[in-house]
Amino acid sequence: MTRLLLILTFAFWCPLTAQAEMPPGFRDLMDAVVRIDVREFAYEAGAKRFRSGVGSGAIVSEDGLVLTNAHVVGRRAVEINVTLANLERVSAKLVGWDHWTDLALLRIDQEELKEKGFKFTVAKFGDSGALYPGQTVFAVGTPHGLTRTVTRGIISNPRRYFADSRGVRGYETGQFNTWLQTDAAINPGNSGGPLVTENGEIVGINSRGYLGADNLGFAIPAATAREVMEALADDGEISRSYIGIVPGALQDLESFYDLELNNGMLINSVDPGSPADEAGLRGGDILLAIDGERVDGRFPEQLPPIQHRIATSRIGTSMDLMVKRGSSTENYSVTTEALVSRVGEEAVFESWGLSVREVSRAYARENQLPDDEGVLVIGVQRGFPAAVAGLNSGDVITKINDVPVNSLAIVGSAVDAFDADPQSALIEARRQFRVSLYILKP
Amino acid sequence: MIRFFTPTRLLIILAASAVGGGAETSISKLLQERLASVVAVEFSIEHEMDRTVNFAYGIVIDDQGTVILERGAISDRATPEQLTDFKVYRPGAPVTEYSSAEYIGQDGYSTWHFIRIDVAGRIGLQPISRFVTGDSPLIPEMAEEIWGIGLRKKDEEFAPYFLSSRVSFLQDMPQATGVALGSVAGRGLPVFNMEGEFVGMGASGFGESMIVYSQSRRGELSVFINPDECAAFRLASEVLMATERIPTNQYGRPLPWFGIDGIDPVDPEVAEFLGLGSGTGLVVSEILAESPAESGGLLARDIIVAIDGVPLPRMKPDRVVTAYMQRELLRRLPGTSFSLTVLRGKQELELPITLVDAPKTPAEAERHYFEDVGLTVREMVYTDAVDRRANPTELSGVIAHFVKPSSPVGTAGLQQDDWIKEIDGGVVAEFADAMALIEAVEASGRPEVVLLISRGGKTSVLRVKLKT
Repeated sequence: MTRLLLILTFAFWCPLTAQAEMPPGFRDLMDAVVRIDVREFAYEAGAKRFRSGVGSGAIVSEDGLVLTNAHVVGRRAVEINVTLANLERVSAKLVGWDHWTDLALLRIDQEELKEKGFKFTVAKFGDSGALYPGQTVFAVGTPHGLTRTVTRGIISNPRRYFADSRGVRGYETGQFNTWLQTDAAINPGNSGGPLVTENGEIVGINSRGYLGADNLGFAIPAATAREVMEALADDGEISRSYIGIVPGALQDLESFYDLELNNGMLINSVDPGSPADEAGLRGGDILLAIDGERVDGRFPEQLPPIQHRIATSRIGTSMDLMVKRGSSTENYSVTTEALVSRVGEEAVFESWGLSVREVSRAYARENQLPDDEGVLVIGVQRGFPAAVAGLNSGDVITKINDVPVNSLAIVGSAVDAFDADPQSALIEARRQFRVSLYILKP
Repeated sequence: MIRFFTPTRLLIILAASAVGGGAETSISKLLQERLASVVAVEFSIEHEMDRTVNFAYGIVIDDQGTVILERGAISDRATPEQLTDFKVYRPGAPVTEYSSAEYIGQDGYSTWHFIRIDVAGRIGLQPISRFVTGDSPLIPEMAEEIWGIGLRKKDEEFAPYFLSSRVSFLQDMPQATGVALGSVAGRGLPVFNMEGEFVGMGASGFGESMIVYSQSRRGELSVFINPDECAAFRLASEVLMATERIPTNQYGRPLPWFGIDGIDPVDPEVAEFLGLGSGTGLVVSEILAESPAESGGLLARDIIVAIDGVPLPRMKPDRVVTAYMQRELLRRLPGTSFSLTVLRGKQELELPITLVDAPKTPAEAERHYFEDVGLTVREMVYTDAVDRRANPTELSGVIAHFVKPSSPVGTAGLQQDDWIKEIDGGVVAEFADAMALIEAVEASGRPEVVLLISRGGKTSVLRVKLKT
C-alpha cells in the first residue's frame, strides 16, 4: 500500500518538474525524432530473403525528409516504417543514400500523413564546428528497440579520425569526415538518431560505438550531415571525384622529407590504374598543394578535409598537384574520375540459386584483378544449380557459354534463356587468380 | 605416446598366442634383417634468432650411404644453407653412437630429400633394393597382409617396433600409393609383404575424418593425423627410382620450367561437355612472361588435354591430375621438347614446347640478416614478382624474408614477405643496393630510416626508429 502511494506521488510530481526544465527547443526536437523499422532484401543466400532492422532518425524538413544512417536504411530496403512522436506509424521511401558518410535520407509518405492528420516538428541543426570537449549532449533514439530513449553524455572529442574501409556493411566509410566522439550511451538501434545540445539542436547523427567498450560512441558531425542531406535531397546520390591516392600523416617524417612543419601530405600509396597513377604519382610522394592551395596533412585528423577537398571537385576536372619527390618539386596534372565503391550493383537469380555483384573498378584495383570484367558471386543456395556446379562466394564469373560477362544483365539473359530452355551451361569463373570451368545443369 | 594398451597391440599379441610361435618368429627375423635399411636422422635448421632441432626417418637406397627422407621431413621454407648438423642413428643403438651426414638436395620430381652418410657410418647398412628379389618390385594386392617398421623417439634410442595391416586400396595420387586399414609404418619407413619383399614407404600427410563428441564439442568434424605412423605408403617403385634421381646439387638443378600459373582440372561434367571422352583437361589461368609456355604460343584459358600425344588421364580425385601434369614436366630435363595439345575455344591445337632451366628460386636467392635492424633482406626473384602481380621480367626491390619481433623494423610495422622498394629515399633496384643502403644507415648512426614498402598491391611509408 505504501509503495503504491509512493509511486503515485512520484508519478504525479515527475512530469511537472520535467516540463518545467525541458527547454522548448528540446521539446521540439523530441517531436522530430522518429523510430525507423526497415525490411530489406538479404541477397547473400542465393535467394530473395528478407531481414528486418530498427534504427532512429530525425525529421529535417517540412515536407517530411528524415535523416538517418546509411547502415540503417540502404538500397536493399523494401519496406520502411517511421514511428512519429505520437507513436503512430507512417510509411516512408528512400530518397538517397551515401555510405561514404553513412547517411541516408527518407521521405515520409505525404498523403498518408495528410490523410491521418499527423503532425511533427522539424529538427534544427546546430554548429558542430563549435563543439568543445566536455560539452553536454544528448543522444535520442531507439536503442535495442526502446523507442524514444534519451541518454546524456558529453562531447569526448569533437574531431575523431578513423576511416573504416568496410564500415557500412562492406561499403567504405569515414574518409571524408572526422567524427564526434561522445560518452552518451549509444546502443544498436540508436543508429541514425540525433546527437543534440541541451536546447535540442542537432550537432551529430549517431552512428556507431565500440562494442564491449565503455561509452565510446561516434556521430557524424552536423556540418557533414547537412551537406550530404542537401545533395541527396536534390539528386538522390552524391557524386564525388577520385584521383586514387591513399594519404598518410606526415608527423615525424618532416625531417626525412626535408619539409617545414605543417606543410604537405604524405601519399602512402597510389591505386594502380588510377588517374594519379597515370599522371605518374607514386607512394612516398609528398603532396604540397592542390591547384595552388597549400595542403597540411601533419596529423591524421587533417586527412579527411583534404580528401573532402579532392572529392568535392567536379568529376573530370583537371587538378594541378604540386608534388615533392626527393629533392625536386614538380607539378602534375590529374584529371579526376568518379569515385566508386568496391561494392557494385547486386542481383539475385533465384532459379540458379545465385547472388552476384558487379565487379567495380575499386574492387578490381583492391584485389589486383586485371580488369573490372565479370560479376562476383556473393552467395549460392545449397542444392541449386550454381552451388551444385561448384560455384562459391568469392568466385568471379567471367563467361557464360562463351559470352563474356561484364554486367548483371548478361547473367540475367543467360538465366532467362536457361529458364526458357534448360540446357547445360558452361561457366568460366576466376577464384583468386585461378580460372575454373563449371557446368551448370538443369 | 604410450601404445602398450592400444587395441592394435592387444590384437597382435592375441593373434600370436593363437597361431603359435612359428610364423611370428620368421617375421621377427625378417624385421631384424631389414633394420639395416632404416635410419633415424637428426638435423638442425638455423634461423635468424635460434635453431630448431628436427627428426626424421629414412631409407637407405644405395651402397654410398644415400638416404631418402620424405618431402615433409624438411620444411619447404628452409634453404640448404640453413640445414646443418645432420646426425644419423641406427635403430635401437645407443644414441651416443651416431654418424654424420651431409644434405645433398631435394629432387623436384620425386619430392624426396637426399642425405649421404659419411663413410664410417655406412658399415652394416643395406640398400632397400636388397629386399626386392624380382626385376621390378611387387605391388601388393588389395586385402593382402603387409607389415612395416616404426621407430620410437630419441629418448627410447629409436627402438624399432612392428606394425601390420592389410591393403585397403591402391591409387595413383599421382604417385603410386597404397592405403592400409591402419598404421603400417613410421613416416618414411619401409613396408613389406609377408615374405619380406619391400613393397612401400610410409607416407605422411593423410588424415582420417572423424566426428568428435564431447561435453564441449557437439559433433564437430575433425581430421585426425597420426604424426608418427602412416596408413598410406608410396609403392616400392616410387622409392626405387630414387637411385636414378640423386640430386647433383643442393638446389635440385637442373630444374625444368614451363611457366604457367594456376592450373585447374575440369570435373567430369565439364570434360564431357568439352568432348574429352575418357580423358580430362587442365585450364591454364596464366602464362608467365618470357617462359617456354609463352614462346610455345600457349594462351591463358587454354585447356591442356594431352602431353606428347598422351591424353591427360582422368584421376581420382580430379585435382590429382594437376600433380600428374607437374610430374610430367618435372621428369623431363631442361632443353627437352614435347608437344602439348590444347583446346582453345572449339579448336584443338598442337603446340611445340621446349623446357628451359627455371629462373632463380627463392631458396637460391641471396640473403643477409641485419641483426641490429632486425631484418633479413632477400633478393627478389621471378616467383616473388609473380606472387605480387608484378612484372617478373623487370625485377626491383628486395623481400623482407624475416622480421624480428619487437626489432626496429618490426615495431615500425614491417611484415615478413613485404616488398621493400626504397630504403632511406634510395631506390632499391637490386639486392646489392639494399645491402649498401642498410650498411650506410647502420654506419651513419642515424636515429631513423624510412622505408617504402609494398604489401598486397599497396605501398606504404614506414618510419623505422633505430636503436641508439
